[in-house]
Amino acid sequence: MPRIFLHSPAPVLACLLAFTCHTSRLAAGNVVVIVKDTKGQPVTDAVVSLIPLEASAPAPLHPPVEPVVISQHGEEFDPYVTVVAVGTHVSFPNLDSIRHQVYSLSKTKPFEIPLYGSGTEQSILFDRPGIVALGCNIHDWMSAYLVVVETPHFMKTAGDGVARLAELPAGRYRLDVWHPRLAGESRRDLVVAAADAATQTISVTLKPDRRIRRAPDGAGGGYK
Amino acid sequence: MPPTALAVVTSDATTRHPGLTVIPHALRFRRFSLRVLTLLLGLLFATLMATYVVVSSANDSNARDHARANLELAARIVQSAIRQRLDFLASSASVMAGDDALKQVLRTGDNRTLASLLQSYTQRVGAPVIALYDADGQPLASSEPGMDDENTGPFRSLIRTALGKDLAESSGFAYLRNKLHVLIVVPLYAPHPNIFGWFGLAFPIDRAFAEKIKDTTHVELTYLSLDSPQQPHLLATTLGQAAIPTVVNAAAIANQARADHLPRPATEIIDLPDDRYVTLTWFQAMLGANPVALVLQRPLSPELAPARELENSLLLTALAAFAVATLLALVIARGVSQPVRQLAAHTQTIAAGDYATRITLDRADELGQLADAMNSMSAGLAERDQVRDLLDKNVSPEVAAQLMRDGAALGGEEREVTILFADLRGFTTLSEKLPPPELLALLNRYLDRMSGAIEAHGGVIDKFIGDAIMALFGAPVTQDAPADRALAAALEMERALVSLNAELATEGRPPLAIGVGVNTARVVAGNIGSHRRLNYSVIGDGVNVAARLQSETRKPEYGANIITSAATLAACRRLAESGLPVSAFSFRPLGYAQVKGRAEPVEIYAVS
Ligand SMILES: [Cu+2]
Repeated sequence: MPRIFLHSPAPVLACLLAFTCHTSRLAAGNVVVIVKDTKGQPVTDAVVSLIPLEASAPAPLHPPVEPVVISQHGEEFDPYVTVVAVGTHVSFPNLDSIRHQVYSLSKTKPFEIPLYGSGTEQSILFDRPGIVALGCNIHDWMSAYLVVVETPHFMKTAGDGVARLAELPAGRYRLDVWHPRLAGESRRDLVVAAADAATQTISVTLKPDRRIRRAPDGAGGGYK
Repeated sequence: MPPTALAVVTSDATTRHPGLTVIPHALRFRRFSLRVLTLLLGLLFATLMATYVVVSSANDSNARDHARANLELAARIVQSAIRQRLDFLASSASVMAGDDALKQVLRTGDNRTLASLLQSYTQRVGAPVIALYDADGQPLASSEPGMDDENTGPFRSLIRTALGKDLAESSGFAYLRNKLHVLIVVPLYAPHPNIFGWFGLAFPIDRAFAEKIKDTTHVELTYLSLDSPQQPHLLATTLGQAAIPTVVNAAAIANQARADHLPRPATEIIDLPDDRYVTLTWFQAMLGANPVALVLQRPLSPELAPARELENSLLLTALAAFAVATLLALVIARGVSQPVRQLAAHTQTIAAGDYATRITLDRADELGQLADAMNSMSAGLAERDQVRDLLDKNVSPEVAAQLMRDGAALGGEEREVTILFADLRGFTTLSEKLPPPELLALLNRYLDRMSGAIEAHGGVIDKFIGDAIMALFGAPVTQDAPADRALAAALEMERALVSLNAELATEGRPPLAIGVGVNTARVVAGNIGSHRRLNYSVIGDGVNVAARLQSETRKPEYGANIITSAATLAACRRLAESGLPVSAFSFRPLGYAQVKGRAEPVEIYAVS
């Protein structure tokens, strides 16, 4: 059932998330994950999630109250990769003067928001874990990913390829790394001790970037 | 034998006299063989060169034809490529028409979103330009922002054509943003057959297109705008920068010819910096503009490469044939000139008088025949020489020469001659005193001296009759002043006898004495005798008179050793009167002598 929110910026959301984690456990550790490609270059937009393996009861997810925003701006999705916990609402505000028609055919959550312009926001609830590939029926080059995880411990790598996960209750975890261009899977088990600040460097193999590039403005795409 | 060489040889043979030294001959024969050689090789060379030229030019025109066929094929491939692309765009348009997103956008009437959707389509279809027009041809949206009326004009013109002719599509060439494009309009049915609007799609004819055609056809493509016909400007080309001005000029000329409806060759050859190009120029009609020129070109040298290979092997074969022919010609020329030189050398031998040497050429051809003929000639000459030799001893050289010249024919002629008779006096007495060999030696010695005196004055010994001599002056060879010569000879004989007598005196022998009679008369001269044996002689009364005058010298009362007749005196006088130089003789009249068989006596004179 779609609900309509005013959009709120992502960093606020992250703080909120961190705060929740901090308050829930007493003995906690930190993990720094560095994702690099086979050439040793830092990988941006990699999703890092830690799934507790020993907990008797599943960790509470605490989805945010305000919907997470994936906007359409300049005929592109922003951001390209978003990670949320199961049960999070995501809104797709159109900041352009033209219309978009956002959809996904992914099994995690097939949906379509019929052609819409600016000013209206529709939010969608993502209630199952998985990868949601997002597209626009009007603009072939528009592409984005929403990663829905079943853990409160997740983070997206920044430009330096680093994701810091703090306030982790001590225990065994499965470390999952996902990236739109990831070849195969990347997961490993690790133990987080209290007041620990372990650094995990993960090397991933990335497939070539095959995104459709928007035609440059003006004439002359050329003969193909 | 080639006619020129023959002419040269005959002229040489006729104008030059044989009997020169050996060296020039040898040189000339060497030159002759050289001429034959040069001529043969020249002919062969000319033939080979002609073959080469014919083959080469056939190859050339073949290559041009082949290039032209390729160019025409390339032109059809250009058309076909464009047609395929248009077909693809037309079917793409019908797929686009079925896109639900398009229908949703069209329902909103939001033309800006429509424009961005068309941009998506340009990527899906690979057509750089997609525009949408309403059913009346009014522009709704275009993938190209800011397509003004000038640029949408060609699409609208195509829509009008399609509407007017009720066509399912319409296409043509036009400039979009000053660049050459192929355009197509396809109806947007919603639903079929209701026309909601028109898709206008276009793709550029640019360098990439030209290169693509070149990849498959290996033909250089150049598109030129003829908007200003005198100065075509380049739209797209596969050629390098250096070649462009030449091609532009050629296109301007071709366009002028087209505009003037002049006949144009199917292809022409244009020299570009890197090669010669067979060039085919087509003119493509445009929507609302002057046509564009499509220049298709193919370099000639790759086309000629296999032919050049053939020509090279032909050239090699020709050179080999030439070399073999040179060797053969040398051998043949040597085979001819060697025996000819031998024959020439042999001619020298014969000319030098050696008739005994024979030439041997072991050949059955004309040269062999010539050698045989020369041998026969040598034999003939040797025989003649022998005859001449014998003749010289038996008859006087003059008679022999006349016989050699006129042949020994019977017959005669009447002519005036002076006859000299000389007789040795007291020979009978002498013959009794001396033994025969000594006698004959003395006689021959005497006759030799007398003959010498007679011949010294041009007289001809007619015959020796024992110790007597008969000599003729003025026969058989006509000579000047025969009478004068005869008298001079008689006086010479007297002097010769004086010197002979002086010799005889030292030998203790008695002196000899002679009597000489000289008469001038008309006699019959000719060869006298049988077919087997002939003598040149004279007969007639005058001969008897001369003999009679000789016997008159025996009369002591005359006191004369030399007696001549009035006829001889008259002949001497005629000579003196004619003004010719004459010898000085003194004539002493002795009166008249009676000659046997003659009625009238002869007036006689003693000569000294
Ligand atoms: Cu869109």
